[in-house]
Amino acid sequence: MSRVIVVTSGKGGVGKTTTTANLGMALAQRGRKVAVIDADFGLRNLDLLLGLENRIVYTAVEVLAGECRLEQALVKDKRHPNLVLLPAAQNRTKDAVTPDQMKQLVQELSNNRDYVLVDCPAGIEMGFQNATVAATEALIVTTPEIAAVRDADRVVGLLEASDIRKQHLIVNRLRPAMVQEDLMMSVKDVQEILAIPLIGVVPDDERVIISTNKGEPIVLAQKLTLAGLALDNIARRLDGEDIPFLDLTATHDDLFSRLRRMFRGTS
Amino acid sequence: MNSESTPTPLSTLSPTSSDAASPNLQVRFKSENGRLLLLLPPEGEQNSLSLTWTDVWQQLKQRLNAGDRFWQPNTSVHLIGRDRLLDARQLQAVVDLLAESQLYLKRVYTSRRQTAVAAATTGISVEQQPSVSPLTPPAESQSPLADPLYLQTTVRSGMEVRHTGTLVILGDVNPGGSVIADGDILVWGSLRGVAHAGASGNGRCMIMALRLEPTQLRIGGQVARAPETPPAQYQPEVAYISESGIRITKSTDISRLRSYLSDL
Ligand SMILES: Nc1ncnc2c1ncn2[C@@H]1O[C@H](COP(=O)(O)OP(=O)(O)OP(=O)(O)O)[C@@H](O)[C@H]1O
Ligand SMILES: [Mg+2]
Repeated sequence: MSRVIVVTSGKGGVGKTTTTANLGMALAQRGRKVAVIDADFGLRNLDLLLGLENRIVYTAVEVLAGECRLEQALVKDKRHPNLVLLPAAQNRTKDAVTPDQMKQLVQELSNNRDYVLVDCPAGIEMGFQNATVAATEALIVTTPEIAAVRDADRVVGLLEASDIRKQHLIVNRLRPAMVQEDLMMSVKDVQEILAIPLIGVVPDDERVIISTNKGEPIVLAQKLTLAGLALDNIARRLDGEDIPFLDLTATHDDLFSRLRRMFRGTS
Repeated sequence: MNSESTPTPLSTLSPTSSDAASPNLQVRFKSENGRLLLLLPPEGEQNSLSLTWTDVWQQLKQRLNAGDRFWQPNTSVHLIGRDRLLDARQLQAVVDLLAESQLYLKRVYTSRRQTAVAAATTGISVEQQPSVSPLTPPAESQSPLADPLYLQTTVRSGMEVRHTGTLVILGDVNPGGSVIADGDILVWGSLRGVAHAGASGNGRCMIMALRLEPTQLRIGGQVARAPETPPAQYQPEVAYISESGIRITKSTDISRLRSYLSDL
């Protein structure tokens, strides 16, 4: 059975698309058959982050209109052919598709695939409903900021109400130095509110932005950066591996305090 | 040592008229004479305040989940639909949803002909009633407090739980969430959102939480913010109205408080 996972957040700009692109790529690298769907009709980005924009011929809207077959609209990744992208239409709004249609698309797409990742638009309106309608699991992305956590909490509640109980938390753009100075919410603070299991913490890293601009997901790097490693670890955990959490503070302090933390057992 | 703290008082609320609560009625379960009633909020005039089907549906799910442990298998449910228009698909959805909790829909009471027809075509026994019936007392909000409502749930951002009696939440009330009751409010968890006890004007109601760090507290007609400086250590606390406005005290002092409140 394939797993249909929606990547969602409520608040915009917290890293949903970045997460979807990287997890899709990381799972494909592990040999899984993956489809990623851009459900952000009218504001599509996922193709850019994957560097696949220039290969798009058809989009989900043409598939639904019967103008092409689903297989024709799928864009195969140039690096890992077991990753495909179903692009969103850029010239339509979120009301161009209904939840029923979306469900049908996702179900067809999930045939013979291990994972379907749905990149959800920001907000909780029609686009959100479309993106979540076929999902059986959710990854909740938030940054350690009050407003983002508040919106994430709203989304967790809405998903629970539509019976998507399997939810995992990703805290993105953490800045450990700021947390240490008490200038940023810690992962624990975030967890205390959202009360869903944590699947990964991704540090704030400008190389993520660079990789976004190049259309090269950061998990593809030869030598993984901390952010790349964090994302790769999330993919592994999603895939059932038991991977310990990274010590993100490591780069910011000396060996001495790391050892101290180790002995206190609070890494 | 005095452990009491005074939250920052804000404005005084204009008195809520007793029937102002009625557009705010939510889906609820009630047992009466050995039957389980499922009461839907009335639709009323076609105004923007009345709940849409999506709202009703979400509340129903919420209430079913939040009461999960207490449903006796095979209990029959009487749906009090009042003046709500329900189509066959919606009624079937309710039947299916109740069935997941091993509850079965025995009968629908409605004042709308279309709803009655829909129920009959869905194969549910139905009783069409005049809009005012013994089962749907219109003066519900004026009547003495409803039975306490006990919910096991996290009240998340954007969620609002209202009840015409005392409200017990087994779980947290998160920032952005709100709990509103005509009676007391007990939160067996952290209260970080907004709580309004005595919402129809009773200033002797109390708000209790294992961990009280609310965005805002309201009791009767008074409003207060939590103290600016959070306590060094959280402990179960009670908020109540004193001569000087809303005050917060350790819950272990509740017995002292009870004699104080009865002196009011
Ligand atoms: N860990 C990170 N470190 C630094 N920058 C990041 C990180 N994650 C995401 N970003 C940057 O944040 C911006 C927003 O990311 P992204 O487009 O993935 O967010 P989104 O949630 O999909 O936004 P939208 O709601 O608009 O769809 C991008 O410029 C991206 O490069
Ligand atoms: Mg996006």
